[in-house]
Amino acid sequence: MKRKISTTTIMYVVLFFFLAIWLFPIVTAITKSLQVGGVESYRSVIANPDVHYFRVVFNSLFIALATAVVVVFITSLAGFAFSKMKFIGQNVIYVAMLACMAVPIASVTMPLFFTIKTFGLTNTYLGMIIPLVAFNALQMLLLWRNYFDGIPNELIEAARVDGCSTWRIYLRILMPVSTPMIATTGVLTFVYSWNEYLIPLLLIRDETKYTVTLASTYFMETRSQTPEMVAQEYAALILMTIPSIIVYLISQKWLQSGITAGAVKS
Amino acid sequence: MTANAQGVSAGRTKAAARGGGVDRASRSRARADGESMNSWKAKLRPYLFIAPLVILSGVFIYYCIGFTVATSFTDWDGISDEMDFIGLKNYAKLLAPGSVFWTALKNNIIFMVVTVVIQAGLGLILAVILKERLPGSNFFKAIFFMPIAMAPVIIAAIFRIIMDPNVGAINEALRFLHLDFLAQSWLGDPKIALYSICAINIFEWMGFSMIIYYAGLMSIPEDIYEAAKIDGCGFWNTLFRITIPNLSGTTNTLILLGIVGSLKTFDIVIQTTGGGPGRSTEFLNTYLYKAGVQQFNGGLSAAIGVMVLIIAVVLSIIQVVVNNRANR
Repeated sequence: MKRKISTTTIMYVVLFFFLAIWLFPIVTAITKSLQVGGVESYRSVIANPDVHYFRVVFNSLFIALATAVVVVFITSLAGFAFSKMKFIGQNVIYVAMLACMAVPIASVTMPLFFTIKTFGLTNTYLGMIIPLVAFNALQMLLLWRNYFDGIPNELIEAARVDGCSTWRIYLRILMPVSTPMIATTGVLTFVYSWNEYLIPLLLIRDETKYTVTLASTYFMETRSQTPEMVAQEYAALILMTIPSIIVYLISQKWLQSGITAGAVKS
Repeated sequence: MTANAQGVSAGRTKAAARGGGVDRASRSRARADGESMNSWKAKLRPYLFIAPLVILSGVFIYYCIGFTVATSFTDWDGISDEMDFIGLKNYAKLLAPGSVFWTALKNNIIFMVVTVVIQAGLGLILAVILKERLPGSNFFKAIFFMPIAMAPVIIAAIFRIIMDPNVGAINEALRFLHLDFLAQSWLGDPKIALYSICAINIFEWMGFSMIIYYAGLMSIPEDIYEAAKIDGCGFWNTLFRITIPNLSGTTNTLILLGIVGSLKTFDIVIQTTGGGPGRSTEFLNTYLYKAGVQQFNGGLSAAIGVMVLIIAVVLSIIQVVVNNRANR
């Protein structure tokens, strides 16, 4: 009994030690942002005439939501086909798609920029959404295919006998039972798109189209180290992070299940 | 017409159900396929289901890859439409002994080893503790996992101020504790800047390893632990003899994902050091970005991209094989 208590104590010591490290940056940022002039730093960031805070949050929200909706739709459709249908070239296409899963966006920097520019889509939402969909879809395809592999074929056969078309089976039978998977892939895509930095960095010059990631570097560009400027930098970074934390608090469960589903299958 | 086709299909289903030796999985797959396998419509349907994904994702990415490979043999400046074929000159420059490419590759590898080992080690320790379900463990788990929801570029920005030699909180804390000799220019000293970047990455991604190990721990059957307890196995013995060996599959996955992640690292580096001081924290991706976007050397940038792509595709294939094996 005595031994049991001491192990618990050691465990708490370890947990609190790492908790202190993990809270340090966030607590520092909050205290430092308020140290000089209190909430004035926050007010001046929100009142910035070039980069409007709420506009920036809206841009990121719109882009991440649109990307998530498109990715969930196209990857669930394709996952269904790859898992439950049989067609010529099936495996070749599947492997060819997943072969790109580890391709970093940075490795195709030049063609990405050049192609979007050629289509006249720089400084547009669509110009950002297309590459975000392209690069997020592959991991979600893997998740959907694995998920559909776990759904018994009998469910589909029964619907087929009842006279359902393939499209109706997808829409009326599979999608309603897949809500956890829709949430998981949707949240994962949303978070990855929200956090993307290189795509807006390459494609956006117009301040009205800035995302939170781009705006955060905008506020870091003043290299001045007066206490007021440091406080304002911290305030800007906290303001840019608040929406992420709200999303995290709402969707923590789905984010965790998405990350584990992508990694462990044993 | 549809009703007729369905009738045929239903009849077929029954006939197939009666048929013996055919492989079950492939049979039900074929049945799920549609009313009549002979109609061209049914044959076309799977392609319609994958078309949006293949066009938006596959075609887009493969086009970009093809573009990169093609321009890597030219002297393209990255902006104009003009380019001349120069053969393997970009690659010769890239792979010459002592070139920036080798420095960047070395930095990528150091970064990968340091972050993968520490993230996996810390993640395992915390997952093992959290599995005990002590009061408050959900709170700890939520905090350790939270950085994953935050943008790496913003976390890196916070650390850039915290690690600043003059106004940074780390040096302030060290001075407060009278440990001035430990105060460093964390991101400005070429000897330690790379490790500071590793630290930021560990802060961002440790929760990822933790949550994956946690899920792995949950899948180890409880009776193994009970048997160990009966045999008088202590905490450490259980950890090294049972827990870690049972998690070897999870560890392999984490190593693979860590390698992929290090190959994708860009945001943290460009935000904190931009590859400097000198080339001391140059990564493959920052080198590629600077060559293409800032130095108008699109051809060389593309050649670096090809090297990264080769590594990435090999890694993806390993990832798919591992996933298939685990799924079986």
